[in-house]
Amino acid sequence: MNACIGSPAQYRFQDRFLFFIVPLFVLDGILDIWGFHYHHLHPAGALAVLCAAVQSSPIIGFIVIIGLYLAEEKDEFQKSILVQSMLWAIGVTLAVTTFCGSMEKYSQGPRVDIASVQFLFFLVYIVAIAANRWRYR
Amino acid sequence: MFCMSKSPAQLRWARSCWISAAMVVPLAIGACAAFRLYHLHGFAAYVVAVLPTLPILWVLVELGRFLAVAKDEFQRNILVQCVLGGTGGTLATTTIWGYLEDFAHAPHLDLIWVYPIFWLFVVVSYPVVRMRYR
Repeated sequence: MNACIGSPAQYRFQDRFLFFIVPLFVLDGILDIWGFHYHHLHPAGALAVLCAAVQSSPIIGFIVIIGLYLAEEKDEFQKSILVQSMLWAIGVTLAVTTFCGSMEKYSQGPRVDIASVQFLFFLVYIVAIAANRWRYR
Repeated sequence: MFCMSKSPAQLRWARSCWISAAMVVPLAIGACAAFRLYHLHGFAAYVVAVLPTLPILWVLVELGRFLAVAKDEFQRNILVQCVLGGTGGTLATTTIWGYLEDFAHAPHLDLIWVYPIFWLFVVVSYPVVRMRYR
């Protein structure tokens, strides 16, 4: 996304990613490695909710900056590629989660953590962006 | 979204939603009954488990088809924005809930709930998006 074009909206997207999302990911990593793996913390009550909020903040932040980017981007083609990729990603995510959820419910399939939905979504999203860019080469 | 259906694409989309909703209920009840009565295992269990999801997946396919063939750019744009609102809401909810399960021992939320959560957020986004274009 960032290699060839440089609209102001894209620059702002990159800045937001670099200065908000990356530090949140670092904070996440520190909390994960230092807190839960090294010190084996077991937060409870409000602290547990705070930890959950910190751990999910990069993803929430990423959704927000994508929304801001879509609102600010003037290039319809770039916007359309992003929107198409997101539609593919949510379509595949819903299909897979419904299928796996049904398996889990009826035939005692493996219990899947609901937080893994975000990883599936972003994995398909990256593949869809690459596929769409390849289509419009 | 449905009461103002005019174009063939919109009519087809609305019809698919209603047919799918009508099919999901008996298929889900049938699958539940089959598992309770026959204690299915192996391949048969997988096949029966998949049956109620087929109408749900069909709605997704029809949504994609509607977005591809809809002639009215404005209506399409509104639906796309609602779907994006649904996507953001779903990802935020599942992420927060997943971590709450880990840290605050919140009850486990099955993956099957992702789909209703998504449509809930799409429906909630709809008046918000419409309000912007009043």
